[in-house]
Amino acid sequence: MSSPLGPTVFIVDDYAPGRRSISRLLRTAGFAVTACASAKEFLAQYDPETSGCLVLDLAMPAVSGLELQNILAERGSLLPIIFLTAHGDVPKSVQAMKRGATDFLTKPVNDEDLLAAVRVAIEKHRALRREQAELSEIRARLATLTPREREVLEYVVAGKLNKQIAAELGTVEQTVKIHRAHVMQKMRAQSVAELVRLTQRCGIGGSV
Amino acid sequence: MSWITAVWSMNAAACLTFAGFYFVVWCKQRQNLVYLFFSCSATAAAAISAFELWMLNSTTVEQYELLVRWIHVPTFVLTVSFVAFVRLYLRAGRAWLAWSIYSLRTLVLILNFIFAVSINFTAITNIRQFSWGGQLVSVPVGTRSPWGLLSSVSLLLLLIFSVDATITVWRRGDRRRALLIGGSMIFGAVLAWHVPLVIWGILEVPFFLGFTYTAIVAVMGYELSNDVARAAGLARELEVSEKRLNLAAESANLGMWEWDIVHDEIWITEKGRAMFGFAPSEKLDFDRFRSSVHPEDRALVLQAVENVLQTGAEYRSEYRVLLPDGQVRWIDGRGHVEFNGAGQPARMRGASLDITKRKQAELEAARHRTEMAHLSRVTTAGELSGSLAHELNRPLGAILSNAQAAQRMLANGGVDVAEFREILNDIVSENKHAAEVIRRLRLWLQKGEVQQHSLHINKVVRDVLKLIRTDLISQNVSVDTELARNLPTVTGDPVQLQQVLVNLVVNACDAMADCDTRERRLRIRTGLEKGGDAVIVSVTDRGGGIQVKEVEQIFEPFFTTKAKGMGLGLSVCRTIIGAHRGKLWATNNAERGATFHFTLLKDASAKEVLIT
Repeated sequence: MSSPLGPTVFIVDDYAPGRRSISRLLRTAGFAVTACASAKEFLAQYDPETSGCLVLDLAMPAVSGLELQNILAERGSLLPIIFLTAHGDVPKSVQAMKRGATDFLTKPVNDEDLLAAVRVAIEKHRALRREQAELSEIRARLATLTPREREVLEYVVAGKLNKQIAAELGTVEQTVKIHRAHVMQKMRAQSVAELVRLTQRCGIGGSV
Repeated sequence: MSWITAVWSMNAAACLTFAGFYFVVWCKQRQNLVYLFFSCSATAAAAISAFELWMLNSTTVEQYELLVRWIHVPTFVLTVSFVAFVRLYLRAGRAWLAWSIYSLRTLVLILNFIFAVSINFTAITNIRQFSWGGQLVSVPVGTRSPWGLLSSVSLLLLLIFSVDATITVWRRGDRRRALLIGGSMIFGAVLAWHVPLVIWGILEVPFFLGFTYTAIVAVMGYELSNDVARAAGLARELEVSEKRLNLAAESANLGMWEWDIVHDEIWITEKGRAMFGFAPSEKLDFDRFRSSVHPEDRALVLQAVENVLQTGAEYRSEYRVLLPDGQVRWIDGRGHVEFNGAGQPARMRGASLDITKRKQAELEAARHRTEMAHLSRVTTAGELSGSLAHELNRPLGAILSNAQAAQRMLANGGVDVAEFREILNDIVSENKHAAEVIRRLRLWLQKGEVQQHSLHINKVVRDVLKLIRTDLISQNVSVDTELARNLPTVTGDPVQLQQVLVNLVVNACDAMADCDTRERRLRIRTGLEKGGDAVIVSVTDRGGGIQVKEVEQIFEPFFTTKAKGMGLGLSVCRTIIGAHRGKLWATNNAERGATFHFTLLKDASAKEVLIT
């Protein structure tokens, strides 16, 4: 049922009437829904490329909600998880939130709360995916730099002047200027400020 | 006055005295015909003595003829009543001999009055007088009748009868009686032979038939007075023992009673009257007794009494009486029924004990037990509150989401009737589900009286697994059940039995908390105990086992190995199972972990226990 066009809400709950009712509610609100009775069933059909979110029941036999959250984290999934439980167990909710759950709702859940949480989660997934795409783009650009250009880049974002960089590298200012122009071009940065922003997102710079 | 006159008169007087005395005794104890027969034979012996004295002093033939004829009347009475007495008193003597003597003696009497003069003489021609012991005595001289032989035959039969009866008594082991009475009887029967010998002219002595009997009368009089003395002694002992019994009854708070069923009259001691709230002089019948019983217990008492009247079993019934002032008293009534010859219940005798104090203590103990069990359930419910909230919130959540989905559908305008039907169906079934959860919870928390139901233990196990399903899931414990089919039903309180199982299962889960997730397996088994009289349930875990010296220790109150435990669970469980007449015990498994077992008597056995 997952739509390649819009986001899909996955529901994993062993309790059939609960699963059905949440599915109905979300479908009526216009979401594409995929409902699964167990973690195993979900993992068998989940495509990481699908955007959306996961509404997950906490207490399930065999693989519990928290265990599924762990499995997804190990696989590097970005799918936001909204935990839904019939009993607000404080230690478990803390554990879930620490591991990055988007929300923790208790049954019976009001439709507005659930829909709001789902919208937030979908938006979050979208943002995360966009960010991840940008990040891989920046990493790809970084990968095109020569080791010397990479060194120059680090001095530039650290705020050093060409003269200083030349002194550090034991070369002349002119050479540094050429490397710097290559860096700006390869990184597609219009200004030093933009370069700093790009490199910071990859965790480079600031402390040389 | 001649000495003969004096001795014969004294003999007659002695016999009469005995006769009179025992006649009076008989008048007081009409059913005791022994006394009457004895009195008759003694009277007859006195009469014979009188007749003999008359004959010895007789001087005319006419007078002698008359006397010889009429002496047969007391002789008949003596013989018949003597034989009857022997048979009744000694329970000896052959019936055919006795009846032969009766008929022969009757025949002799009849013939005696048919033939001229008497059965002994066709005619008395003369009176012969001779001197005996310094006195002149008269004996008849005449033509002997051949019929006189009949009289002698009856005398012979009497001798045989006496010897036979004496042998019987001797063989029975009553030697004293055989010697005394039998001996005197034989002695008398032998001496009586002087009569025909005198008549035949062989012996020359005065008639002394009266004396032959005196010996017998004296011996029997002695025996009978022994009996009378013994009876008087018994009466005295009876009186003393009755006093003792009354004293014991008084001090034991017993009310003794007797119910004459035929006349429907009830007699009861003063203590008993006070116990039931009857007025001191009030006339009592069964209806009055029934009305004193607490209305709620009347059917029970009636059933117990009917059962006793029909089967003759011992009467035993515990019930309440409602006193006029509204006070309630517990009575333990016991007794037995006596039947008359026709097999109809004639009377019931028994005693009633005031057991109010004991009953109050029992009820108090039962109330404590119930409260303890309730408290423990509430505690468990607190521990399980997560589970319970879960069980309740799941259906509520489904209802809410379904209803809100439907609202949105309506708002969107696109109403799909089929979908709507499904939504409503789900809402209805989830609502029922929630109601069922609440009902179970309410039962669990109820502080009601202990119920006695006939129930299937497998259902109790399944109910418990439903109740704590979520806890098992959240603790990653999987449950294997091995529930035997066709188990007999047991009698018990479903909630309390659930409580025991919940406790055992929760304990088992706690014991496995440190195990690897895959090792957390719990096994619940039901089956029939070896003897087949009880159902056995066992809960097996794979935890660390019971780590105390004495396994029994874990059943003691306030014993706990848990950080948060109060140590009441198992002791309450044992109390509950004990109140169900079952057993609860624990064993460590050979491999790992521990097993808790409990038994419950199957229904039929439980009923037997209640009755005995």
